[in-house]
Amino acid sequence: MRLAAYMFSQAFRSLWRNKLSSFLSSVTTGFALFLLGISFLISINLGYMYRMAETQMEIQAYIDKDATYAQVAAVVSEIREVAGVSEVRYVSKQDALEELKEMFQDKASVLDSLEEENPLPASVRIKTTHAEDIPGVVETLKNLAIVDDVIYQEEVSRRLVSIGRAVQYLSLGGMLVVGVVSVMVIANSIRLAIDARRQEIGIMKLVGATDGFVLTPFLLEGIFLGFLGSVIGTGFAVGVYNWVFGKIAEFIPFMPIFDLDLTSAMDMFGIMALTGIMVGIAGSAFSVRRHLKV
Amino acid sequence: MINLRNVSKVFNSKVKALDAVSLKIDKGDFVFIVGASGAGKSTLIKLMYKDETPSNGQVMVLGKDLSKLRRREIPYLRRRIGVVFQDFKLLEDKNAWENVSFALEVTGTPRREMQRRVNQGLALVGLQDRKEAFPGELSGGEQQRVAIARALVRNPDILLADEPSGNLDPKTSLEIFSLLERANMFGTTVVVATHAQDAVNLLRKRVVELKDGTIVRDERRGAYNY
Repeated sequence: MRLAAYMFSQAFRSLWRNKLSSFLSSVTTGFALFLLGISFLISINLGYMYRMAETQMEIQAYIDKDATYAQVAAVVSEIREVAGVSEVRYVSKQDALEELKEMFQDKASVLDSLEEENPLPASVRIKTTHAEDIPGVVETLKNLAIVDDVIYQEEVSRRLVSIGRAVQYLSLGGMLVVGVVSVMVIANSIRLAIDARRQEIGIMKLVGATDGFVLTPFLLEGIFLGFLGSVIGTGFAVGVYNWVFGKIAEFIPFMPIFDLDLTSAMDMFGIMALTGIMVGIAGSAFSVRRHLKV
Repeated sequence: MINLRNVSKVFNSKVKALDAVSLKIDKGDFVFIVGASGAGKSTLIKLMYKDETPSNGQVMVLGKDLSKLRRREIPYLRRRIGVVFQDFKLLEDKNAWENVSFALEVTGTPRREMQRRVNQGLALVGLQDRKEAFPGELSGGEQQRVAIARALVRNPDILLADEPSGNLDPKTSLEIFSLLERANMFGTTVVVATHAQDAVNLLRKRVVELKDGTIVRDERRGAYNY
């Protein structure tokens, strides 16, 4: 207990004593994490836009006109069980006509003539969780007895799948690159701060301090600086994002853009804090280790 | 207590600092290591607390063969050895009291006992009134006394001093040496590398003279020169 108290008091005393370099380390860490946060937000947005596009993809399965209501009901519940299907909606002949009227409101009178003998087929409209599920679902639908024809945006769905993959790789790669760069920047700034205290470490070793005893206050400092950096980085990233978000909402209102709510901001902060702390620990440990061989 | 057998130390595979030195120091001894600059005095001292490792030969300290000592065992060896340097090696941002207590923090000494021993140590070197002073506010002699208090606060078995009076005037030097002698009277084995002729001649202790890395004289109750 007393040892822990000693470690903490040492860590905070030295942070305070080296105010300027501590502050600079935090700011550097903060800046690196800011970049990480921004790349994280960009990847969230790419994913968000992709999902928006994905949910608008719809498969239409036209039902044979001689199918009975019971057959249709059976098929609908059967489709619900197909893997990847998220939403199934039955559109009767009448519904289809209403839909058509809706679309051509001004020429509704022309469509009135269709009332007597409605030529539109009933259909089942299906949405999938992911665009890549579409081809499989379409295959299953084609094999159902009462399904006449299956219509979907084949080309669009295929492109969407490949775009989805590209988005994933791109944002993962981007975050990885920025992550590695942040780690290097942070580790370096910690190293500089610790190099300045070589003598202190030497004296500690001289009076018989174990490596752990020397290292622990530095690790605590690293954790604190990393955490402080993540607060700074997240703060700036969220601020900048919300500003950009406001501008986009103002000038390009139809653009799907992710509204950063508190939960997502906290998620992001969690990731940043974890990164900051881990990098702080790693940076301190590596830098001090070089001086421990006394 | 300390036993060197055929110890050689070569730096950068050409500079020979010590050449087949054998030296036995018993418990309670007070030994002056003398010799010209570059004769190998500092190297000899450094071998004794494993700041350097010998190129050849065996260094036994406190019953342990230092070349077989594992890295994580070194701190425990050093806790039984106090070391004093020419440049004091105090922590500039800690006051006198904290510099001394630092040696006890390292071993996790309980607060109450630490207080008692640090106060005792500072009293021993006559600095009980300067506890709050930082190294920058202390004279050279006072700084060295803090360093000695730090070295002695753990009641070490061995006290090593490498030119402890190198930066001090003759009068202050004598004060420092009398402190080392007092430590020796309490039973600590003391080894001092020094150029301080007056002190060596005054105290009349065992004198080991080094020349070009070899022992050329080992004399009981010796003087600085023949």
